[in-house]
Amino acid sequence: MSSLFRRPLLRLRERSTAVLAGLALALFPAVLPPSQPGAAPLIPGAEAQQKLLRISAIPDQKPETLNRLYPLLANELSRSLGVPVKYVPVTDYTAAVSAFRRGDLDLVWFGALTGVQARLQKPGAKVIAQRDIDGSFHSLFIANTVSGLKPIRNQKGLSELKGKRFTFGSESSTSGRLMPQYFLGQAGVTLQDFAGGAPGFSSSHDATIALVQSGAYQAGVVNEEVWQSSLLSGKTDPRKVIVIWRTPGYPNYHWLAQPDLDQRFGKGFTAKLQGSFLNLRANNPKQADILELFGAKRFIPAPVAQYDAIEKVGREIGKIR
Amino acid sequence: MTPVVTAPRPGHCPWPFQPPAAPLLMLLPALVLLPLAALLPGLVHGGGWELIGQFAAAALTPSLDPVLLGAAFTGLGVTVGIALLGWALSLALGLVGGVLSSRTIWRTLLAEAWPAELIRRFLAVPRSIHELLWGLLFLQLVGLQPAVAVLAIAIPYAALVARVVGDLLDALPTAPLDALRNAGAGAPGALLTALGPALLPGAFSYGGYRLECALRSATLLGVFGLGGLGTELRLTLQSLQFHELWTGLWLLLAVMLLLEGSLRLLRRRWGMPGRFGLDARGVGRSGRELLLALLALLPVLVLVARALGVNPASLLVWQALPPFLPNWPVVLALPWGSMVGTTVLLTLLAAALAVGGAPLLLLFVAPWPWGRLLLQGLWALGRLWPPPLTALLLLFVLKPGLVTAALALAFHNLGVLGRLLLEAADSAAEGPAAGGAELALRCAGCGPRLALLYGRFSGLARSYLAYGAYRADVILRETVVVGLVGAAGLGTLLLEALSSFAVDQLLALVAVYAALTLVGEDLSDRARRRLLAS
Amino acid sequence: MPPSGLPTPLLELREVTVPGRAADRLAGVSLQLRSGERVALLGASGAGKSTLLAVANGLVAPASGAVLWEGAPPARSRRLRQRQRARIGTLWQDLRLIEELTVQQNLNAARLAEWGWPKALLNLLQPLDTAANSAVLREVDLDPALLPQSVTALSGGQRQRLAIARLLRQQPTLLLADEPLAHLDPRLAAELLALLLRQATAPRALLLSLHRPDLVGGFDRVLALRAGRLVLDTPPAAVDPALIQALYGAGPSPWPDEPR
Repeated sequence: MSSLFRRPLLRLRERSTAVLAGLALALFPAVLPPSQPGAAPLIPGAEAQQKLLRISAIPDQKPETLNRLYPLLANELSRSLGVPVKYVPVTDYTAAVSAFRRGDLDLVWFGALTGVQARLQKPGAKVIAQRDIDGSFHSLFIANTVSGLKPIRNQKGLSELKGKRFTFGSESSTSGRLMPQYFLGQAGVTLQDFAGGAPGFSSSHDATIALVQSGAYQAGVVNEEVWQSSLLSGKTDPRKVIVIWRTPGYPNYHWLAQPDLDQRFGKGFTAKLQGSFLNLRANNPKQADILELFGAKRFIPAPVAQYDAIEKVGREIGKIR
Repeated sequence: MTPVVTAPRPGHCPWPFQPPAAPLLMLLPALVLLPLAALLPGLVHGGGWELIGQFAAAALTPSLDPVLLGAAFTGLGVTVGIALLGWALSLALGLVGGVLSSRTIWRTLLAEAWPAELIRRFLAVPRSIHELLWGLLFLQLVGLQPAVAVLAIAIPYAALVARVVGDLLDALPTAPLDALRNAGAGAPGALLTALGPALLPGAFSYGGYRLECALRSATLLGVFGLGGLGTELRLTLQSLQFHELWTGLWLLLAVMLLLEGSLRLLRRRWGMPGRFGLDARGVGRSGRELLLALLALLPVLVLVARALGVNPASLLVWQALPPFLPNWPVVLALPWGSMVGTTVLLTLLAAALAVGGAPLLLLFVAPWPWGRLLLQGLWALGRLWPPPLTALLLLFVLKPGLVTAALALAFHNLGVLGRLLLEAADSAAEGPAAGGAELALRCAGCGPRLALLYGRFSGLARSYLAYGAYRADVILRETVVVGLVGAAGLGTLLLEALSSFAVDQLLALVAVYAALTLVGEDLSDRARRRLLAS
Repeated sequence: MPPSGLPTPLLELREVTVPGRAADRLAGVSLQLRSGERVALLGASGAGKSTLLAVANGLVAPASGAVLWEGAPPARSRRLRQRQRARIGTLWQDLRLIEELTVQQNLNAARLAEWGWPKALLNLLQPLDTAANSAVLREVDLDPALLPQSVTALSGGQRQRLAIARLLRQQPTLLLADEPLAHLDPRLAAELLALLLRQATAPRALLLSLHRPDLVGGFDRVLALRAGRLVLDTPPAAVDPALIQALYGAGPSPWPDEPR
């Protein structure tokens, strides 16, 4: 009876489809335009980059925000420094630090913790500037209104968060993880105290707000600056997510440059670079855009000593070895 | 009352117990669903059902923004390119490694087999480390560049291919070789003539399967920032831009199904054995065509490498690891026991869910009118979504931890296992004994599900479970990728150590992982041999 | 409808046609099989014996014409259809035993149409219905001690008998067998045929295709196919060498309605 039930095999069609599909698939990457600058998330190798200043930033916000902000800045720096400047996006905080250590990035907008990590890994790296707000930066603990969490009066009240679903930002974020964890620890809350025995790591401040607002997490912690711009833009619904506590101030973001910029770009380049930031003024329309996008009135020098406290906290929490 | 001596009733079973029969064995792992069903209500927080709903709804309305599409296409191109290059490199290296680890080869050349054993042991090490770990390690050493992802795929894959090729070579009958040698042929020539053509079908069938794996690996590496579409997938998921996320997912699905489909057709066309039972040797056909295809692949690979900007020379410029003062007492004080325990538990849970889930779903869903299609779709999604993305999605409604991580891993592996099971079941329905016992049962009035269970699963059980044992070994390696979902064993600590640049912990963790997977591989091998022997 | 007084035929084919690639595999075949009848089906290879049996057990639906089991066409609802199929027992040429299971489990597999899931699963865990299974094994001259054995451990003859025992365990009314004696040595073939004929008594009926005209002696009726047409329906006594030559020979057909 066998032959009655055998399936017909479509030999001919099978053959040509297979060959065509295979070819199409194999050639697909080859027909793409060769590595588009900017769009490709890959950092070009170290070679032939002698005269190109590569700037980057830890991806603490939505990629679109970063992609709007940094090309503007790159243009302005290129104009004032007289060298080509390119913005190279990176995918996470750790990658930014590693790339800086390797010398794949020349100038990076780091958080306090990643900046300390980067300077420890690249001795001699120079702190260039910070914003006026970075000397005393704040994080906000936020909560979903359904969670029943209410604004708390003092730090001890953070113990209310025990047993709640809680998310940080990135693992290496100063304002989204390091300092909040430090303040939580002072209030007697450890990471195991959260629901599920561990906190979440949302990867960015925008993501933290969205997750807490959605109810996926009952509470979280964000950088005050991102919170405010999110409120202003109307993305955050104040009926769904509220601030429950504002941390004391601590130093945060700053520009960090490679130690060898003077050798590569000429004597005095690092000083000139610093000058470019310190001289950004709100009365210049182009520069005003940049300052506004950075959420700063101006850039100011950053005393290196202020990060000693951050390094100490980093070591206590184990994020710095 | 008089005591009554009960005589053995007629028909009472004279042999008290027997082990569960073959088809039940296949469903046995699914018993893990019972404790899981008990645990799950306590883990669901349901806070983000709305998000899950939005995510699902966005599947129908992916973003078609040209800029985004362009970026997605570029990302996809990078992913496919990385997969292709990593795969090709792994095949080349793996073939060499396989020949070097074949006992037959060494015995013919040197009359000694010990170098083969030595090389086998040595190759177990690169194999035991997941491609993600290789990627992150190279990232630290040579910086972020496309070559990192290619190499990260090539190294563990090459070791895997080497092992399979070595096993295939040693399983080939040696009679033709002996005949040639006795006739006075030189050793290399005799080896090539006697073993080369016989090796091809198995090796290429496996090689094609590796390409599918490479595509999945390249996507996964992207999720961790090593280039390609995966990066976009993760960013869009984490910023809850589901429409944009689905643009990438659909594109990836199309490429994956296209690749799997064409490989299946090529396998059939070239008369190569299916994935089940690697030791089954098919009769290779169209050898010349196959070689031509391989030759045609070379210029394509060069083009792809150029398009991606892969520069092998840049791999030679090494940078030291981040400076660190090893603090071994701290490393030793880490909760190794509980971490290893959690990792093993995670592996077992995920493996049981995946291995038991596939036949269970097939049994219950496949007989529905649209059931087959539904399953194929579900399994394709499972294969498509890198486990860390599934895990992040699950966190919207589940608490973090072991079970959530296991579900994410299980869903991915269910996709892989389910597809192979369906393919194997389909091939059982072809040929002279078409339908076999299943058809006979159906003709005797048995329902479709019981007929499937008795008639088809019986024959598949052993080889399926053997493959399941292999899959469990893969899952053990993969536990590292769901470290994102806190409290998930070694993987979680590993990601934390990475972001803290704690190189001492990192090295210790990689070493423990490697040791664990070596043990796991050994156990899985034993299980497979036992299953396939009887 | 059958004429009054006669019981409903267990199997009835009315003008059944099954198209094939070049010519019809069955062309306008009509037949009736009644309770207690034992019918042999003869014909050269390719004459349509297998197709006729496939139509008879419902595997192949005719392109035109009708097939009725106990007077009813194939049921629409799945449940009823399964019940209908449970009453048709097929003896497969390749036996189609479940190699991975024991003799007992194989015998019980014939009851799956009646059993629900719990019993079907239990059968895979422990011996069920040992008494009934022992009884059918005895009917086919097999030792009930074989029950816990794996099917793979049986000899060729034992496997043939087991397949018949499974058929009996199904308790069908219509027994179909497609060349069950092919590839068997003459003694075993004769023994098995005798066994089948012995079991096929009322209320059962047997339709068995054969390629050996010398074995038709024990049947009640002999049918023969040539090129998809039913050309013969006689008592076995009428099967003589001339007829066999006409059936199997390459010469022109003695039956006028056969298409050239």
